Amino acid sequence: MTMPEPTDDLSLLETLDHLLDRGVVISGEAVISIGDVDLLYLGLNIVLANVDAIIRTANRR
Amino acid sequence: MKYVIVGVHLRREDVEPLAVPLPCRGSDPEGLWLSGIEVPDDQPLSDRDLLIRTATARAALLERATFIAIRYGFAAHSEREVATKTAPHVDRWRKLLEAYRGEVEMTLKIAAAHPMARPVRGDFSSGTEYLTALHAASTSAEADPLFRAAVDEALRPLAVSSRWIHRDNSSIELAILLPREKVEELRVAGESLKQAFPRVPFLLSGPWPLEVFADADHE
Repeated sequence: MTMPEPTDDLSLLETLDHLLDRGVVISGEAVISIGDVDLLYLGLNIVLANVDAIIRTANRR
Repeated sequence: MKYVIVGVHLRREDVEPLAVPLPCRGSDPEGLWLSGIEVPDDQPLSDRDLLIRTATARAALLERATFIAIRYGFAAHSEREVATKTAPHVDRWRKLLEAYRGEVEMTLKIAAAHPMARPVRGDFSSGTEYLTALHAASTSAEADPLFRAAVDEALRPLAVSSRWIHRDNSSIELAILLPREKVEELRVAGESLKQAFPRVPFLLSGPWPLEVFADADHE
């Protein structure tokens, strides 16, 4: 894992990472997207940011 | 039109005019406010510009006042829908917002000293085995113990609260809740760590809204 010096790009990357993978999840809301299309809308307790996030959530329940 | 929800706020003036204020009351007589970004129904949530717009609004809202971050993906079509879906959470949210009004989160992401290899799907006969291995890899990452001890000594005393979190197979994170006025002090302490441990890759980022410390899964 390389850690570049802080740049605007890095700041944006970190911001998007926080947006997609942190924060409170509202029950019943989940959207799975690929490209520019929301493929599935699921009645789950998780938002699918990435598979690691799914596993973490599943293991905490 | 629909609203992409950014966060939960104590006061209406914490939201306007940066986002659309949407009331959420539950059994709370005063109620709270959600910040919404209005987008056309046919605009997918995966739209790159929408993501950037939401991230930008999130940063501006945090500058205004501390709020609880809603993970990206919650969208609603009306105030009524927002109110119904958020009602069960309002009491808990109010307690958090009142308790942490003056605090923000910072994140210290540290590269694992010995990162576990990410499992390859083809090596497993079932999806369950693969996911189990993936989880094991993501929870076993550890930072250099000397660096972790230095973090505990230099950063954690500035925090109101802090939590070590495993997120993936190659890094470990420390979530830090601290008063806004101590953010700069924390950054200076982070710079000192960089001088003392030039070979340890890490990234100190923030301030962020209440994310880890508002998430019931992390309690």
